[in-house]
Amino acid sequence: MSRVAIEKSILSENNRIAAELREALTATGALALNFISSPGSGKTMLLEKTLELLPAHTRAAVLTGDIQTDNDARRLMRYGFPVRQICTGGACHLDAAMVEKNLGNWLPRGLQLLLIENVGNLVCPTSYDLGEDAKVVILSVTEGEDKPLKYPGIFRKAELMILNKIDLLPHVPFQPEMARQNARAINPAIEIIETSCITGAGLGQWMRWLEARAAKKATAALAAASR
Amino acid sequence: MHEMGIANSVLEAVRREMGEGERASRVGLRIGEFAALDPDSLRFCFEAAVKSSGLAPLALDIEWCRAGQGRRGDELQLAYVEFDEVRGI
Repeated sequence: MSRVAIEKSILSENNRIAAELREALTATGALALNFISSPGSGKTMLLEKTLELLPAHTRAAVLTGDIQTDNDARRLMRYGFPVRQICTGGACHLDAAMVEKNLGNWLPRGLQLLLIENVGNLVCPTSYDLGEDAKVVILSVTEGEDKPLKYPGIFRKAELMILNKIDLLPHVPFQPEMARQNARAINPAIEIIETSCITGAGLGQWMRWLEARAAKKATAALAAASR
Repeated sequence: MHEMGIANSVLEAVRREMGEGERASRVGLRIGEFAALDPDSLRFCFEAAVKSSGLAPLALDIEWCRAGQGRRGDELQLAYVEFDEVRGI
């Protein structure tokens, strides 16, 4: 018998595919974001509002993951951008192979923005790199302020926390400041934007964040291409 | 469900490490406290998955890691694989 030290990630194959996806997306200058939240926090509606507010000339595409149904894809298709549903058939997360398989030759040429809506789950999607530039975690005010403490993995890895459904604050005992403190206790660098997809509050700030990140990615790609 | 996905990823990773004619007998994992995995559930799922994998019998060791002292606590690592025969001989 012989013991061989491996010291590799269990998900090394997923990570290899994700690295290839990231390289391909970086070469085109497309910003890829991976949206993660618990079910019902408003991911799909936030993406609907995002597509509605994007300039029509933006070359954007959406991959949306669910265990079953193409309901989300049908909602998101109404905004004129390419949308593809990934039904995981039971898996509680998207993985890089699912993203690779579903991207194929479907992406528009000169893609600028790829929005990936993960399966509603704050645990499992955290472990799987999809080749994204950033993970965005969505927390809604109908959940608890202590979600960042209960699910530290995603709040540690996310660059941005969107605190959603703030129009409901008068009706729920949610303390936004405590949620912000908890998120920053886990990840001091996390950015936070508060939004309501019903009133439109905060959506301008969200779109400016998105535009700035997309511009930064495109500029980096141009600089790399001219070297 | 998450533990079953990870158990299948472990088996795929072991298969990739096996050379032709080699047979793995034991696999060691290093799992961090923030990896969102329950060791007992992972062990249960691994035992179920290994039966139909063609890799049975394959024993599983799990080293559970706390964060700190250079560890992030989100480790999901394949630490080692034991083979029945000495590799390369």
